[in-house]
Amino acid sequence: MRKQKKHKNDILQGTLALLVLRTLEASPKLHGYALTNHIQSASKDLLRVEEGSLYPALHRMEQEGWLKSEWGTTEKNRKARFYSLTAAGKKQLQKERDSWERLTEGVDRVLRHT
Amino acid sequence: MKWYRWPLDLLLRRRRTAEFQREISFHIAERTDDLMERGLSRAEAMREARRRFGRPGNQVAERRQFNLFLWMESVGADIRYAVRALRHSPVFAIVAILSLGLGIGANTAIFSLYDALVLRSLPVEAPHELLQVTFGEGRTSFTNPLWEEFRDRQEVFSGTFAFGNPTFNLADGGEVRYVPGYWVSGDFFRTLGVLPVAGRLLTDSDDFRGCPAVAAISFGLWQREFNGALDAVGRSINLNGHPFDVVGVVEPDFSGVHVGNAIDVYTPLCTQPITSNRDYLDMRSAWFLYVLGRPDRDIGPDRVGAAVSAISTGVFEATVPQNWNSENQERHRSHVFDVRPAANGVSGLRNQYGTALLVLMGGVGAVLLIACANVANLLLARATRRQHEVAIRRAIGSGRGRLVRLLLIESLLLSAVSALVAVLFAQWASYFLVGMLSANGSVWLDLSLNGRVLLFAVAVATLTGLVFGLAPAWRVTDVAPQAAMRTAGRNMVGARGRFAIGKALVVGQLALSLSLVVGAGLLIGTLTQLYTVDTGFDPEGVLLVEIDKQNAGLSPEEARVLDVQILEGLRAIPGVQSASAALLTPISNTMWNNYTEVDGYEPAEKRETLTWLNRTSDSYFETMSTSLRAGRDFDSRDRPGSVEVAVINQTMATKFFAEPNPIGRQFRIVPSGRDPETYEVIGVVADTKYGSIDEETRPIAYLALAQEEADGWGTLVYQVRSDNSPTSLIPAITDLIGIANPNISIKYTTLAEDVAASLTRPRILAVLSGFFGIVALLLATIGLYGTLAYRVNNRRNEIGLRLALGAARKRVVGMVMGEVGGLVLAGLALGVAGAIASAKLLRTFLFGVEATDPATIVLSSLVLAIVAFAAGALPAWNAARLDPMATLRDE
Repeated sequence: MRKQKKHKNDILQGTLALLVLRTLEASPKLHGYALTNHIQSASKDLLRVEEGSLYPALHRMEQEGWLKSEWGTTEKNRKARFYSLTAAGKKQLQKERDSWERLTEGVDRVLRHT
Repeated sequence: MKWYRWPLDLLLRRRRTAEFQREISFHIAERTDDLMERGLSRAEAMREARRRFGRPGNQVAERRQFNLFLWMESVGADIRYAVRALRHSPVFAIVAILSLGLGIGANTAIFSLYDALVLRSLPVEAPHELLQVTFGEGRTSFTNPLWEEFRDRQEVFSGTFAFGNPTFNLADGGEVRYVPGYWVSGDFFRTLGVLPVAGRLLTDSDDFRGCPAVAAISFGLWQREFNGALDAVGRSINLNGHPFDVVGVVEPDFSGVHVGNAIDVYTPLCTQPITSNRDYLDMRSAWFLYVLGRPDRDIGPDRVGAAVSAISTGVFEATVPQNWNSENQERHRSHVFDVRPAANGVSGLRNQYGTALLVLMGGVGAVLLIACANVANLLLARATRRQHEVAIRRAIGSGRGRLVRLLLIESLLLSAVSALVAVLFAQWASYFLVGMLSANGSVWLDLSLNGRVLLFAVAVATLTGLVFGLAPAWRVTDVAPQAAMRTAGRNMVGARGRFAIGKALVVGQLALSLSLVVGAGLLIGTLTQLYTVDTGFDPEGVLLVEIDKQNAGLSPEEARVLDVQILEGLRAIPGVQSASAALLTPISNTMWNNYTEVDGYEPAEKRETLTWLNRTSDSYFETMSTSLRAGRDFDSRDRPGSVEVAVINQTMATKFFAEPNPIGRQFRIVPSGRDPETYEVIGVVADTKYGSIDEETRPIAYLALAQEEADGWGTLVYQVRSDNSPTSLIPAITDLIGIANPNISIKYTTLAEDVAASLTRPRILAVLSGFFGIVALLLATIGLYGTLAYRVNNRRNEIGLRLALGAARKRVVGMVMGEVGGLVLAGLALGVAGAIASAKLLRTFLFGVEATDPATIVLSSLVLAIVAFAAGALPAWNAARLDPMATLRDE
């Protein structure tokens, strides 16, 4: 995800969706900036979200019906949009998880093969 | 996004964009705070935050599904791009817009004329309900007794009315001032739903025998004669010398039921005897009324037809003209009423010009097509120069459809602007055309813009844009993306293929313009024939003075003396070569006929003995320059009481008497209802035209004016031939007649004017078609030149090579001219075929010229070929002058 400007790359977009959905499963209501920071810290700085592509991805997921959003106020009294998971999103999370596991299992097998 | 969400998306778009901006600002603000905590200054923190975020502009672009608003945005971008492109080639844009604007404008002008004359409904209440009552085979003229019977017996109309259309003279004595008027029955205004703008309009209570002389005037007349003064109601106007009280002013939108005339005065039908010299109200054979009506709302049109047909017998039985012979009476009794739609009123002008306008529209449509072909070629050349750009766009993934749309938008933009130019031009042009139609403002049409005309202009413009834009756009985008790899060069894509379109267009243009030129040639030939036909008289230099003695208060004896007095006075005016008098003059819309009988002549049908008549004074033939072939003219021997004499024309002599010189023989005129009158032939004159220039010669008999019984028509026409211009005599003549009797009305025309007026339609057709033919030829030539120049340019290398290898320059010229020849031949072949096929359309408008006149076709082809070869000569010359070294070096 670091500085790879391949916007039309499906794998990349899929992974971002997976991470966002998982994050929101754990912490129900987050705004975009918090999402960015969470992914960065949870991966211990291994993953840094391309900030330019986060918000379009969030909106797309909202249009697909996986997320819903509402405007609220932060502790610093700023207006921000908070995202949370929908029921459809939970199902999508499971699907993304499964496909991710298949992917890594497959890559693993190829690497192990002598 | 699910498809059902995009309407919502569309509506909320603006809000979403704002919200999006807010999200981004929030994100950057938070990041800035974090960075400041780490020690950066505020400015540095903001910069870094922004940098990390990337360019927010891209964010919106990621939509993969269809989005109407995005589509509109991208079309908007295309339009801006097209505007920019056009601004960079102003010459091309102006040329294209002007030629298209004029082409579309000419089409719109003629259509708006057609719309005003044929399609537009009357500005009355519910015009589509109006019906006109006819009888026999579409006869529309009623007598007053017939109208009254019909009105009393009909049961299906909620309102029905009759009207006649006389002209009224507003002047009392001296030169006439005619205005068109109506005699209307009581229910005219009520049935039409027309309202007054001052005073009141005529109603049932104004229409009874012996009614007072009242009139309603038009808005226009109110402005012109009374300056819109509010006290006009109650004042009086003179109609044919009789005072009428003005009771009201009609609303400005309504100008009668005749399309092509603006009616100025409405008087009740019962006042007809006041303004005419005869009382028609009880005459069973004076056909001067039209009858229209609005049926009851709940009755269907077929039932109306059946209903009026049912009352026919009773009505016609009650109105049989007593003085007719039994055969005609039977025919009268057998007539049956019918109805037909009258939403667009009644119009003689329409009958005359309806078809002609359609033919003109065809011609001007062809001109537009030719102009389109030129613009298409221009666009093709332009687009070709952008070939490289197009290839690049395709290489980076733009779909072909998208590119075609881009180029198409440019052509649609051109035609949209042209449409604006067209509408403006059309307004001017249609007024100009109406001006050509009418002699001294006698024709009036409502030419205001209406929805139909605008729609026509827009439709034509859009179609035009698609027609000339689609082919080039399609062709140019037919390029494989890897062509972008080649240097921007000449020989990119199917130069040959693209040239094929150009050639096809030129051939089409040549063919169309040949058809137009042939058509123009035929119509101009017709006009020439009409101008040069031998009319039997010389119209130049003859002034016609029509006088009306109705209001002069003279007894028949006094009138006769006055006539002689005036004639002698006319002859005494300096500069007058000769003067005469007659009841009517040729080509003047006044005609008089009767059946004649000749002993020893057995006609195949009664109709063959129809003879056309006139009463003339002595010297009539001399004044008209009609040659006397045998015998003598009238003179002082021919007085009331002496033998009734007549001068006949050659056709009558050969037809009825079977000899060219029947002096001394007799014939009888048989007027219906009176005793036959016997006349002795004293002279034979050359044939002359009687009613119209393009007629076959008719048998004409001239009777002696001096021997006329004092029944008379009250009007007389003097013919005055002079050395000077005829109109210079008018003041002297006005004085002369005024001194003799100040209550005589005078109308001046010239014989030449009468003849010219009768030729208005052929003249318009000839002028317009000639104009279209020239424009078409010009456009086709430009198209030919352009295509050839482009082709030569394309083949510069090949030509340079040939020249370098030793080919004679003449051969190069020959090569190019050979191409021209091929195109011209193809165009001529197609054009001649087209001209012959479309010749049928013109047949009704031709005179003295065959529709497939070979001379015209050959001449037109010759003209086209010469012009085309001249156009091709320039590129050929340029090709021959190419410097081989220069072209080869360019490679």
